[in-house]
Amino acid sequence: MSARIAIAGSGLAALVAHATLRAGGIPAGEIAVLGDDADPAATWRVRAGAIRQTHMRSESDGHPYPRTFPGLAAREAWRTYDPWPLLLSAADRYRPSVRTFLDAVDRVREASSWDESFVPTRISRVEVRDAGFVLDGRGPFANVLLALGHPGLAWPDGRDARYVHAYEPHEYARKVAVIGAGMAAATEWRNARADGAEVVSVRRREPVLRPLNLPRPFFTKRGLDEYRSGDRAVFLRAFSAPSYPEELQLDVDVASDVPDDAETVVCATGFLRGYRNDALLAALADEYGLETDDQWLALDDDATVPALTDATRTLALSGVHAQWAFPAADTLAGMRWVAHRFLRRCRTR
Amino acid sequence: MSYTLRGRLESRLAAAAVPLAVAIAWSAAGQEWWPLELAALMLAVGLVLDAGAYHRLLPYQPAWAALPLGALELACVMGLVFALGLPAPLEPAVAFFFLSWLWAQVLAHAGLPLARLEYAEDGGELGRAGVPLGLAVALVLVAAGGVAWFTRPPTVHLEGVVQGPLALDHAQTLVGGVVRGGIVITADDVTVRDVTVVGGDNAIEVRDAHDVHLDGVRVLGATEDGIQARQSSVHLEDCVVDAAPGTQGIDFSFAMHDGMSMIEDCVVHGGDVGITMHTMMGDIAGNVVVGARHHGIEMTEMSMGKVERNEVRDARDTGIYCGDHSVCEVEHNRLVRIGGPGIKAYYYSGAELKENTFVDSPRATHSSDSTLTR
Repeated sequence: MSARIAIAGSGLAALVAHATLRAGGIPAGEIAVLGDDADPAATWRVRAGAIRQTHMRSESDGHPYPRTFPGLAAREAWRTYDPWPLLLSAADRYRPSVRTFLDAVDRVREASSWDESFVPTRISRVEVRDAGFVLDGRGPFANVLLALGHPGLAWPDGRDARYVHAYEPHEYARKVAVIGAGMAAATEWRNARADGAEVVSVRRREPVLRPLNLPRPFFTKRGLDEYRSGDRAVFLRAFSAPSYPEELQLDVDVASDVPDDAETVVCATGFLRGYRNDALLAALADEYGLETDDQWLALDDDATVPALTDATRTLALSGVHAQWAFPAADTLAGMRWVAHRFLRRCRTR
Repeated sequence: MSYTLRGRLESRLAAAAVPLAVAIAWSAAGQEWWPLELAALMLAVGLVLDAGAYHRLLPYQPAWAALPLGALELACVMGLVFALGLPAPLEPAVAFFFLSWLWAQVLAHAGLPLARLEYAEDGGELGRAGVPLGLAVALVLVAAGGVAWFTRPPTVHLEGVVQGPLALDHAQTLVGGVVRGGIVITADDVTVRDVTVVGGDNAIEVRDAHDVHLDGVRVLGATEDGIQARQSSVHLEDCVVDAAPGTQGIDFSFAMHDGMSMIEDCVVHGGDVGITMHTMMGDIAGNVVVGARHHGIEMTEMSMGKVERNEVRDARDTGIYCGDHSVCEVEHNRLVRIGGPGIKAYYYSGAELKENTFVDSPRATHSSDSTLTR
């Protein structure tokens, strides 16, 4: 293999990074995407289908293209000859449909020659060499982006046969308890009610109503300056509380514990958090003594691992594990932010 | 988008580059400076609002906010255009602003994000291109300012008494001295300041000229009018006119399509008519008119304008006359010892009166075909 750049993982973060590298003029043959599914939306598709999601939480620029413009609203307006998506976007009210988003994924996959770079394998170990990094015996690669995705689904303690996870395919019984207070929970309240079920929201705090994962300034340098000048771990913990947009608000019965008569318990409890839950990252941190803070790997401001990155090589993280550098790293905008910085390093070495 | 301060300023400068280039070309082609002055004013207003208000008040700026912010900037720019007396015609100036604003929107929402991957996430900053761009725009403005400075009309200082008549047929500024035999102005952008003119048919005569400024002039001994303008736009202020019987003190006429003219803070003594405007758009304000044999101030022959804050004394016939299809706003004037009506609307004219003072003078009157509105 002649590739000098490797992306470990083949999900949405990997797709955004690959498209960005290609837009930056790097040939597909110089990039190896090492993952277990050639469809970059494979995992996401299952999860969105499981919660019967019809629209994205993200707005017009929640897309996998390397540039913010044209966003999904502009593309939809162009495609349908209807300016309405643009007007909605101007008022921050545009939510692309899942179909629109997945269509964009397919287009980016094709346009960036993703399949030319894709290598079917799951990476479990990163070794550091003078010339770069060896991934499960492949390489060395001078520049590596770890786009590993979420470490796994989070389940509440004490679950029994009634419990299903929101992100796994499931049905609804006559009485449904939904654990959680985030985007998935709010979607599941509607799903269960639409199925004719009696719904109980099991939660220990009132939901936070917020259009996006974070306040908008934190998606740009302006908010980042504020974030970086404060205690990052405190900030990330505060904003990891579940939230959803106001338009998903629904009046449902609330309980602090799962009712005994609930026949289905939907766990809208999201994902496991922290690098410790990812075997590759945990081993990397232990083996090379990487700096950490609580559940986060302490990254440089360009999402690189400082102890393993120098003038000749780059090891960077994308997706949720890059939150130390960019608090909204688990969003498409965050994936693009990391990809832009990774491209900058790949161009110079 | 959430702009950083640097991002706002750099985006503003980037958006200003094309309008500046257009303004330079426009100014060069039309031999007039207002397009460039307007473009520079738009940029200055934008930068001041960016740094002084938007950055603090708008941590996040939704796309729709461009509309009210654009309207605010338009109001500020046009307010300054009027306050600074820039000779920018209203409709072309508003059109230029609108097109520049539209270009800025296209650039901020499409052009710059396409040109620079990190544009949006860097809060509108342009990276390494930012500083050179700022320097380039500053250089263009300094260069244009330099050209304007070095090509500005020459200033001629008169010493002592000069025998006229003087013909001013190119843009210039004439300062000081005494001219015998009159001055004739036939060029645009002429300024005459602190000059005394003695004699001549008309002591100062303006013909087919625009943006003429007469400031602090004194005239006497003319055989016809003291100051006369035809088909011209003139700003006359702080003048003293001594008019002989059978003449008129100041006569501005026949320039309905040549823009506004202004006569303010002058003292006119004598003459058959003190100040007259025929077929004009203009204002007559803050003058003292004494001893006219016929009308103190006239606005007539389809003229439109304001007559305000004047004092007319000892006119033998009418103090302020609005006649022959004219529309006059007559406000806050003082009429003292007027022989005929203090104010008169005559022959299909309309005068709107407000808070005028009549001292030992008959009050306002009108002919049956005219109206007085109080």
